[in-house]
Amino acid sequence: MQVIQVIINGILLGGIYALLGVGMTMMFGIVKLTNLAHGEFVIIGAYLSTILASALGVDPILTIIVTVPIMFLVGMGLQAGLINRVMKIGSEPALLVTFGLSIILADAMLLVFSADAQRANVPYNTASIKIANGLNISTLDLIVFGISLATIVVLSVFLKKTFLGRSIRATSDDLEAASLMGVNVNRTYAIAMGIAMATAAIAGMCVSMKWVFYPSSGGNYLLTAFGVVVIGGMGSIPGTMIAGLILGLAQVIGGANYGQLIAYVLMVLFLAVRPQGLFSK
Amino acid sequence: MENNGIALRKPVKILDGIPMLIICIVICIALYILGITKTFSNNTMRYLLKIFLYITMGEMWNLMSGFTGMTSLGQQVFVGIAGYSVAVFTSTFKMSMWLGLLVGAVIGVVFALLLSLILFRMRGMYFAVATWLIAEAVRLWFNSWRFVKQGAGMTIATSQIPKVRELYIYALTLCIIALVVVYILLRTKTGLGLTAMRDDADASSSVGVNIFKSKLLCYLICSLFIALAGGMFALQKGSVLPSSSFSIDWTVAMVFIVIIGGVGTMAGPILGGIVYVILSEFLAHFPGWSNIILGAIAILVIIFLPDGIIGTLQKKLNFEIFSQKRLSEPKKVKGLKEKANMA
Repeated sequence: MQVIQVIINGILLGGIYALLGVGMTMMFGIVKLTNLAHGEFVIIGAYLSTILASALGVDPILTIIVTVPIMFLVGMGLQAGLINRVMKIGSEPALLVTFGLSIILADAMLLVFSADAQRANVPYNTASIKIANGLNISTLDLIVFGISLATIVVLSVFLKKTFLGRSIRATSDDLEAASLMGVNVNRTYAIAMGIAMATAAIAGMCVSMKWVFYPSSGGNYLLTAFGVVVIGGMGSIPGTMIAGLILGLAQVIGGANYGQLIAYVLMVLFLAVRPQGLFSK
Repeated sequence: MENNGIALRKPVKILDGIPMLIICIVICIALYILGITKTFSNNTMRYLLKIFLYITMGEMWNLMSGFTGMTSLGQQVFVGIAGYSVAVFTSTFKMSMWLGLLVGAVIGVVFALLLSLILFRMRGMYFAVATWLIAEAVRLWFNSWRFVKQGAGMTIATSQIPKVRELYIYALTLCIIALVVVYILLRTKTGLGLTAMRDDADASSSVGVNIFKSKLLCYLICSLFIALAGGMFALQKGSVLPSSSFSIDWTVAMVFIVIIGGVGTMAGPILGGIVYVILSEFLAHFPGWSNIILGAIAILVIIFLPDGIIGTLQKKLNFEIFSQKRLSEPKKVKGLKEKANMA
């Protein structure tokens, strides 16, 4: 029973990890940018959801109706106004600019929200569903897992079936050919960043319900997101799911003291042995 | 190819050869004398020793990123290891701080040697994030390791903490050695190979640059000096904590110093280190704003002055300071240059 419980918890944790990684993977695969500010975007999403939910007295899940469009527009603006410009200088400067951005955002949040721990309170916080004797599934975990899965499925259908999705994938596959076919590359990049930010908003909402967070938590979530990208392979959505599960299991098995450490060590080993990921194209 | 004329115009090297050597030696001796004779106040020396240590770290980060293309976001791991080594040796073992510093440096180098096995399989952003992951993993380990008192941190035995004046002398010496080592390394064949490797790893490898060996040498030197500087920072502060000794802020400082001064220039980190310490001391009056302003400045510099202050000045005014290039074949270049000028 114990083993099954651990596996179930790991799988449920993997859902939110995959959601954390999916925005990062899009930027990686499409824009060819390592966005080191992704963790801060998630935390911004978490703050927005927490504040909105308590101000309006609604369930945090409903806040994504507002936060997702806002974050999408901010992401587009950021990419169009700043990052597209820096990427013309080179990939190293672009990496360092996102690094600078992450430092700025983390400290700005510290100024605005103070260093206090935050958490969005939901009534089903401690509720759980009993499956068998000694086997429980937390309702919150299940909801978060459902949201993550739904987001990823919607995103992959969007990328596969819609015209915009196809043009995004075309840019990712062959930049020059796509731009010759009339795809506006700068605009595509801006949309990709917008989508990445929107997923960060949803991930942030999940984080705010599930864990306590601080303005400085961004680095932690960035590295998790990166781990998902590394283990799953760039731009691969099924890979992202599997990678989330692997990290989730590592975290649950390692427990509170060593979970994060084991996850990080695992990521480094994956990077060294198979840097192209499990599911690279 | 309209740039040919400019590219072939030989930059005026200022401070090169014997005059440079003399000026540098005079400056160093002056700094020593002013420190030993207590001409500087303790406060001035505290600023200066910070500047020396940051220059050392910046110069090392620059050696890795600017000259060899290994952009690391995890060099703070060596700062932390050395700081903890000093703390463990002075308070747990009640031994000399020198032993702590030495062991810290040795552990740093051995750790770097082990890491190179994993890290050198990666390039670019993979390398950058992997180094960060490793630093975070080590921080987490120290956070739950009983021997180093977990998250509570450790203090360095007060009897072992040197006076500001002594620490000033050590920091100055470390900084001078670091600068000399980087200069010599870049002027030798290895340095030439490293720069070639940064510009095109495959091409340089095909003309006989031993990439692994050159990178390793560079990485080990960086780890050694950053560990030593980190140990001295710990001595200056008097305590170590997992959250601050392994903080990403160390890397933020190194990146800032190099970007402001100019990536891939010897003089850049010197200027960057001075600017960084002055700025951060000034920004200490505005708690919480420090990193925001430093980050914004760094982003603006990347956009508008991608070569940094020194790099931009060098290009605009066509001079080179502490040039690492060995332009000692004037005859051949001269002929070409005249042709280019005529054309």
